[in-house]
Amino acid sequence: MSAFPKVVGFVCDWSVDLTPLLDGGALRDVPGVRIIRVPCSGFIRPSWLEDALSGGADGVFVTGCPYGDCLNREGNYLMRDRIDQLQRRLVRRRTDPARLGMLAHGLHDGDAFLAEVREFVRRLEALAAAPPASAGRPARAAKPAPAEGDPA
Amino acid sequence: MRSAYALGIVLLSALALLFAVGIVYGEIGDRWFFGGGMIGALLLAYSFIVLFLRKLGIIGPRKAER
Amino acid sequence: MSLTAGAPRPAEAPRGRYGRAMTALLRGTLRLDVLINKLYPTDYNPLYYTGGLANLFLFVLVLSGIFLFFYYEASLGGAFASVRYITEGVPYGGIIRGIHRYAADGFIVAVLLHLFRNWFTDRYLFSRDNPWISGMFLLAFGGFVGFTGYQLVWDERAQVLTSLFLGMLRSIPWAGEALARAFLGGGGVGDSTLVRVLFLHVAPASVLYVLLWWHYTRVRHPKIWPPAVWVLLCLGLVFLLAGALPATSGPPATPAGQPASFPMDVFFLLPFWLVNWLPAGAVVFLLAVLLVLGFIIPYAGARERPEGMEVRHAGVAQVIDGNCTGCELCYFDCPYNAIVMASSPAPGLSRAAANRTLLAVVLESRCVECGICIGACPFEALELPRFLERDVKQLVAEAVGA
Repeated sequence: MSAFPKVVGFVCDWSVDLTPLLDGGALRDVPGVRIIRVPCSGFIRPSWLEDALSGGADGVFVTGCPYGDCLNREGNYLMRDRIDQLQRRLVRRRTDPARLGMLAHGLHDGDAFLAEVREFVRRLEALAAAPPASAGRPARAAKPAPAEGDPA
Repeated sequence: MRSAYALGIVLLSALALLFAVGIVYGEIGDRWFFGGGMIGALLLAYSFIVLFLRKLGIIGPRKAER
Repeated sequence: MSLTAGAPRPAEAPRGRYGRAMTALLRGTLRLDVLINKLYPTDYNPLYYTGGLANLFLFVLVLSGIFLFFYYEASLGGAFASVRYITEGVPYGGIIRGIHRYAADGFIVAVLLHLFRNWFTDRYLFSRDNPWISGMFLLAFGGFVGFTGYQLVWDERAQVLTSLFLGMLRSIPWAGEALARAFLGGGGVGDSTLVRVLFLHVAPASVLYVLLWWHYTRVRHPKIWPPAVWVLLCLGLVFLLAGALPATSGPPATPAGQPASFPMDVFFLLPFWLVNWLPAGAVVFLLAVLLVLGFIIPYAGARERPEGMEVRHAGVAQVIDGNCTGCELCYFDCPYNAIVMASSPAPGLSRAAANRTLLAVVLESRCVECGICIGACPFEALELPRFLERDVKQLVAEAVGA
C-alpha cells in the first residue's frame, strides 16, 4: 500500500475545467489521482471501471456535467445509472462499492470538484486501512477480470 | 438556515391561505382582476414553498441525480 | 487525437477575436449557472430548461388564445368592441387577455434565453445544427405571431403598426406592392384586412407546433416541460401581472385618424421603433440580415467548427458487426436518435450475427461523436474510430501503473 490511495478519474471534456488543476496527467492538489479525459461521461463502459479497480487502483470515479446540463443531454444520467448497477455488482463480488464514485461538476466548479475528490480519497484511505485479507482483496485476487455479460 | 426555510414555508402557507380567501372574495364580488391577481399570487407562493421544501431536503432530486 | 491523458484542448491555442469573445461568453454563461445553482438546485435551474419554459408559455398562449378567439370579431367595426367586451364584459375575460399578453412576453424571453444559452454553450455542433435551424424558424414565426396579435386589437397602436407594416411590405423590391395588396385584401384597410390578420395570427401559431415536431425529432426525451417550481412561478407571474397590470387597448382606431405614436412593447415591436430613424426598407433589410446571420451560426467561421474550437473529433460511432447481438441498449441510450435497429442480414459473419434478429445501425448524419452508445454496449460492438477501447485500456493501464 503506497502513501496515498491510487485513484483513476474519468473526466468528461465538457465538465469541470481541468486546465488549472492538472499537472501532466495527475491532479496537482490531490496526490495519487490520475485523470483520463473522455468525450462524454456516458462514453465510459463499466468494464473499464472494473479494469481499473482490478488493475490495482484503490478507487475510480467518473465526473460529468451537472445533472440537467450534460452537453449531450443524458450522458451523466446514464452514467449514474450504470454506476449504480456496477456498485450493486461490486457488492455481490464483495468489493466495497465506495471505491466507485460519480461526480457532477460544471466548468467553474473546480473547488467543489477538488473538495469532492478529496472526500472520495479520504473514504478510500479509511477502507485501505483494513488489513490485506479484507473484503476487497481476496475477491479481486481470486477471480480474473470478469467477462462482459458475466451474470455474477 | 434550515429554520429560516421552515419559517418561510409557514409564512408562505399563511399567505397562500389569505390569497385563497382573496380568490373567493373576488369571485363573490365579481372583482375579476382582483381574483385573477390572487390566483397568481397563490401560485407564486406555492412555487416558493416547493423551493423551500427542496432546500430543506423534504423533497429531493430523482434517484438518477443523487 | 493525442493518446495521452493530456487535454484535447491545448491551453495556448491561437484564437481570433471572435473566438475569444465566444469563449468569454461560454464562461460567462456557465458562471451564471454557478450563481443560480446557489439559489435553485441543479434539477430546478431554469437555464437548463429554457426550451421547456418556452413550451410552457406557448401552451398557455394557445389555451388563452382559444378563449379569446371565441369572442373576437374580425371586422373594422367589431374588433375593438369585441376586445373591450372580452376585457370588461366576460367574467375573467380581462384576466385571460392579460395572461395572453404576458405569456407572449414570457415566450419571447424564454425563446431568446434558449437561443443564447444554446449558442454560447456550443450546443449546435456536429448534427445539432438541425434543431438550430428549426429553432430559427420558430423564432421568426413566433415574432411574427406576436406582431399580428397587436394588430388584432384595432386600437390606435394597431393602426400605426398596420401602416408601418404596409410601408415595410411596399419597400420589398418587386413583390412589395403585391404583398401589400394581398395583406390588405383590397385597396385600403378594410374588414378583409382584419380577417387576414386573424389568419396570420392563428395559422403561424399552429405552424409553430409543426416546427416544434421538427425541432424535437432529432433528440430523445426532449425536455418539453420545466420543473414544477417554474411551472408554478411562471403561471403565477402571468396571472398576477394580468390582475395587477391589466392589458388594455388604446383609443379605438378611426378611419380618419392618423395617430403618430403608440406605447412601445420591447418584446415584439422593436423593428417598428427603428422606423423612427431608418427608412422602412432599411429595417426590412436589417431583419433579413439578422435572420440570415442567425441561420449561419452553426456553419460560419473557423471558431464555429469543432476543429476550430479544439473540440475532440473522435469520429462517428462505428458498429462492429461481428459483435452486435441486437440487444438495443445503444438504441435506447443514444440522445440524438442516431442509432436505429435494422433486420440483421442472415447468416452474418459471426456466431453473434447468426443468432440475432436485429442489427444496430448508426445514422452518421445524426451522430455527434459523444460515445454514449459505446458506454451502453455490453458486447464491445461499438467504437469511436479515434478513441478505441484499446486506447482507453492503455490509458487506464498507464494511470494505474504510474
